[in-house]
Amino acid sequence: MTKPQSPPRRLIGQGMMRVDGDGKVRGTTRYLNDLAYRGLLHGAVVRSPVPRGLLKGITPDPDYDWSGITFVTAADIPGINVVHMHDRTMPLLAELGGEIRYRGEPVGVVAARTPERAAAAAAHIRLDIEVLPPLLTLQEAVAVFKARPGAFDSMKDQSIVKGDLARGFAEADDVLEAEYWAGHQEQLYLENQGLIVFPQKDGSILVEGSIQCPYFPVHELNDPLQLPPEKIRVRQTPIGGAFGGKEDYPTMLTGYAALPALKSGRPVKITYERNEDILFTPKRHPVWVRYKTGFKKDGTLTAIECDFLLDGGAYLTLSDVVMFRGILHCALAYRCDNVTIRGRVARTNSMPCGAFRGFGAPQAIWGLESHLDAIAARLGKPPHLYRLQVHARPGDVTPTGQVLSGENGSTACLKLALQRADFARKLKRCSRGRLRRGQAKWYGIGLAFFGHGAAFTGDGEAKFKAKGRVELTRLADGRPGIDIRVSSTEMGQGVHTVFTQIAADALSLDPGRIRFPLADTGLTPNSGPTVASRTTMVVGNVVHRAALDLKRQIESFASRRHFKGAAVELRRSQLVAPGRPPLPFARVARDMLAELGGASGFFQFELPPETKWDQQAFVGDSYPGYSWSANIAEIEIDPLTCEIDVKRVTAVLDIGRVINPVTASGQVEGGLTQALGYALLEKIGTGRNGLYDAARLQTYIIPTARDIPEFDVQFVEYPYTFAPPGAKGLGELPMDGLAPAIANAVEAATGRRIRTLPITPEAIFAALHPAQGAPAS
Amino acid sequence: MKITETIDIRFPKTLAEALRLQAGEKTRGQLLAGGTDLMVQWASGAPTPERATSIWNLPELDAIEIFDDFIEVGAGVTHAFLRDAAPIHRHLPALVAAAATIGAAQIQARGTLGGNAANASPAGDTAPALLVSGGSVLLASRSGTRTVPLDRFWTAYRRIDAQPDEIIVAFRLPRKGSARERFRKIGTRRAQAISKVMAASRIRIVKGRVTSAAIALGSIAPTPVRLSAVESLLVGQKLTPALIDEAEQLAQATVQPIDDIRSSADYRRWASGRLVRDALENL
Amino acid sequence: MSTLKRTWKVNGQTVPIRAPAGRRLLDVLRDDLGLVGTKESCGEGECGACTVIVDNEPVVSCLIPAGQLPDGTAILTIEGIEKTRIGRLIQRAFLECGAVQCGFCIPGMVVSSYALLVKNPRPSTPAIREGLAGNLCRCTGYTKIIQAVKLAAARLPKRK
Repeated sequence: MTKPQSPPRRLIGQGMMRVDGDGKVRGTTRYLNDLAYRGLLHGAVVRSPVPRGLLKGITPDPDYDWSGITFVTAADIPGINVVHMHDRTMPLLAELGGEIRYRGEPVGVVAARTPERAAAAAAHIRLDIEVLPPLLTLQEAVAVFKARPGAFDSMKDQSIVKGDLARGFAEADDVLEAEYWAGHQEQLYLENQGLIVFPQKDGSILVEGSIQCPYFPVHELNDPLQLPPEKIRVRQTPIGGAFGGKEDYPTMLTGYAALPALKSGRPVKITYERNEDILFTPKRHPVWVRYKTGFKKDGTLTAIECDFLLDGGAYLTLSDVVMFRGILHCALAYRCDNVTIRGRVARTNSMPCGAFRGFGAPQAIWGLESHLDAIAARLGKPPHLYRLQVHARPGDVTPTGQVLSGENGSTACLKLALQRADFARKLKRCSRGRLRRGQAKWYGIGLAFFGHGAAFTGDGEAKFKAKGRVELTRLADGRPGIDIRVSSTEMGQGVHTVFTQIAADALSLDPGRIRFPLADTGLTPNSGPTVASRTTMVVGNVVHRAALDLKRQIESFASRRHFKGAAVELRRSQLVAPGRPPLPFARVARDMLAELGGASGFFQFELPPETKWDQQAFVGDSYPGYSWSANIAEIEIDPLTCEIDVKRVTAVLDIGRVINPVTASGQVEGGLTQALGYALLEKIGTGRNGLYDAARLQTYIIPTARDIPEFDVQFVEYPYTFAPPGAKGLGELPMDGLAPAIANAVEAATGRRIRTLPITPEAIFAALHPAQGAPAS
Repeated sequence: MKITETIDIRFPKTLAEALRLQAGEKTRGQLLAGGTDLMVQWASGAPTPERATSIWNLPELDAIEIFDDFIEVGAGVTHAFLRDAAPIHRHLPALVAAAATIGAAQIQARGTLGGNAANASPAGDTAPALLVSGGSVLLASRSGTRTVPLDRFWTAYRRIDAQPDEIIVAFRLPRKGSARERFRKIGTRRAQAISKVMAASRIRIVKGRVTSAAIALGSIAPTPVRLSAVESLLVGQKLTPALIDEAEQLAQATVQPIDDIRSSADYRRWASGRLVRDALENL
Repeated sequence: MSTLKRTWKVNGQTVPIRAPAGRRLLDVLRDDLGLVGTKESCGEGECGACTVIVDNEPVVSCLIPAGQLPDGTAILTIEGIEKTRIGRLIQRAFLECGAVQCGFCIPGMVVSSYALLVKNPRPSTPAIREGLAGNLCRCTGYTKIIQAVKLAAARLPKRK
């Protein structure tokens, strides 16, 4: 296979303005709740009031007026009561006689003419439940894991083994062991979950809504709905933020709305208000991670042993893959010959956790980067010099045996970040719990370094074969143009803009002639879900190649039809042949549309044939490519109150080719801000009633414009040359490392290491006053 | 139909009309000012009243008047208006500083001083500053007006000394004169934050000795509270480092805060003393 | 329950209002007047997505019962913002700075920026942060939004 020649780059690398920006700043972009439909029913989910129990009865209140109301339970499910997900265990609705496994588990759905009437009716469904004792939290699960491992309920185990751990510890001069915790994190997209299911005359359904992965409902609900994939069509509406939160959950929501829609024959809309959205949709998995590391006096890591335990909630859903990504990042970034990582997914009686930007990696990196600073401290080495010594670089072998390629800016990220932040000098100014001369507040600087595997884990991309088309068509103005047909969804990250740039460059056309319709599974090939930092890298390559395919077709048509067989090139919106006057693209395209009816370029992604992955053994090339980053946080802590102020964050990233530096840095600033919230503010616990305690925006605290630091975002480009234009993963990387960088800065400022997120003033106070404050778990 | 649409809200144009409407009422929740607390409570499922009386924009409640000894601030004055009312800043700096920490611009534009006091949340941001002024609340009903000292106004958790037929008309707040004021709030974040602990203080020092001291805390008890033990400790004394240490510890020994979603009892107890220290060190 | 009969000036146009007195301004705008550019996200005044300008003050329309707005009340929503010079400058600066991602917070953010610049045409960075602190954004990290407000301010016509 010969690699295609890249055309001269014009737009790639430039901060082209967003293609979807105009409607957004004017308020004319129509999100789901802005669309008016007649004759909708509104659905309300009937939920279990207890976190665990046996469902013995479902009785609509006989004294309530049920006219005009559709009510469905598991008995109305046409097929098998199961959502496919990864292990086919989660029922769509709790089964009569079956076990309720979490507070809020759907038992039925009520649909009525107004949301208020539906909610009122839902409150008149009486549930008879024999209450069973729940296991609600990761803390309880870990207590079981430590005391009675045999009684620990793991939904999925997976290990990674490299070298010989016992030998590694035998070679070590010193051993350091510590545990790290983090709780749930809510995605908090501003637009709540919502979709509409329209039943069709032929028995199929059309789904419209705020859906991150339109093909998921198509393939996950065939059994319960007894509908083949071609009878579930999903159309994306503009998405007001997702961050993974609209990856897995809209499948369930589609199922909830489809049942009353199929039963009533009317379209059913379910849209959550904020409170319901926070309480009853998936969050980032809480984690407990224990590192035991052996190292020599010179710092060489001889052994890394890691237990990585996620709270999956009541059902596995996609937690196995989250755990896989977690363990693949637990020791990725450092050189060590002997590694054993054991991943587990605990079952608890809580809402199943799901996808959230980073997908297990932030939890792993939180532990690893905190622990690495602790090792450096034990060795008496400055944390940056220690990372420069032991970090992974090209030619090194990962825990799964993958040899890191040369397309790897790990060292460059570290060095540039250290230089831009003036780390070495500022490290000496850190307060370590005592104000230095001229300091009114404790000062600390902290570093984290990490990689992030881009695209699906292992051979996922090889199996998936992302498909996409670039079509010649007539645009709304009647003139010829291009449609990009891939299922990647615009959620704010800028994919519509970035793919327009890629297609425009490949075709050598004006980006104004390129359109990127919202995904519609009836029209759009399956280029895969918009997840895993795979979109620009993998699907961007599909668009690039499909566009080149179309370009060749246009050129060959023009050669035949307009240039008497001469070699023709589409260049800057013109068809040019040596010695002939050029023809405008519009002219040739019109002829092509008239004669052929249309044309489209197609491409299907493949991994390099030498890619090897053994899913059973977890050995081989765990990701097609790796992005890298170093984050540095500078903080001040007020000794008076322990309030933390993050003053400045430096982030240097290797994301391969940067297609659009403006959207890219916007992704980084936004991801870092989510990570800042994870590190300091976003605290959500579970009450004994099984409900989250911070279920509103008044209590779930995310950063405001006054909470953010000054950001210094820089890119170093080590492109993924296999897949032009050479991007690597970006979306998740900014979420990965800021929390440990801040924890390391807190340690530098106060002399205390905090091992539980979020790091609140209360936690710092407790660490500084162990007699007065409760220990930080 | 949304829940607030089920409430019969009346819109009197004058205070007299509002007082007439309130004359027969049994609960106070039916008075609606800027709505920044009540509309939230109603939307989040709290019981809603059948009727409510809007006192937003009643002209009689909207003024700020400066007198020789005190400032009279109308109960309908918004936090935004307080911030913009430059002539009162030097007389009531703690109150202005407190108003500036409420919500953000949108909430400050609608939230009123009277509403903040009547809502009687332990975390009401203006309450500690009102308390340290040593002022009083003016209440009106159809049968007349009366004055309640602010330090007796908040009687228990979310309770105030006001009858259902009474409307808060104004706050009569002594000017600070030569005293120094300070306000500091530890919130859940830097803006749009509910307080974990906050302190306001008004302290007068003459020739190196404290001649009067008022220190109040919010969010550490069922009501906003004055720290009278600490105040007594300070009066007549020179503010030495040892005295400040003692005041900090006394504050910590005095308060009995609780754990809740926003903070821990231990932290609040400690921070109470720290904010007393902050007040005394920054006079 | 009383039904209102009011006349407001919405985006410069005189508009008759018929609604229950307790209907939220947000619902009047979105459901009765079809002005769906104003968004709802939290319904409790925390996120600022529903920010509009009432008589020159930025407010969260989810917390205002329509009855509290008398005849003649002037309301400016995102749909009216672009008819103003400052509004257009802000919108353009948001696009140029890359301040937009998912877009759901942006109408409220633009309206708050407008309210800020009308009152303070030369805001400092802390003043911009404070002026926008009532508008939550989960995508951008605010940095480019703050830059955009600065850029728009710099382009405001100079007053003599």
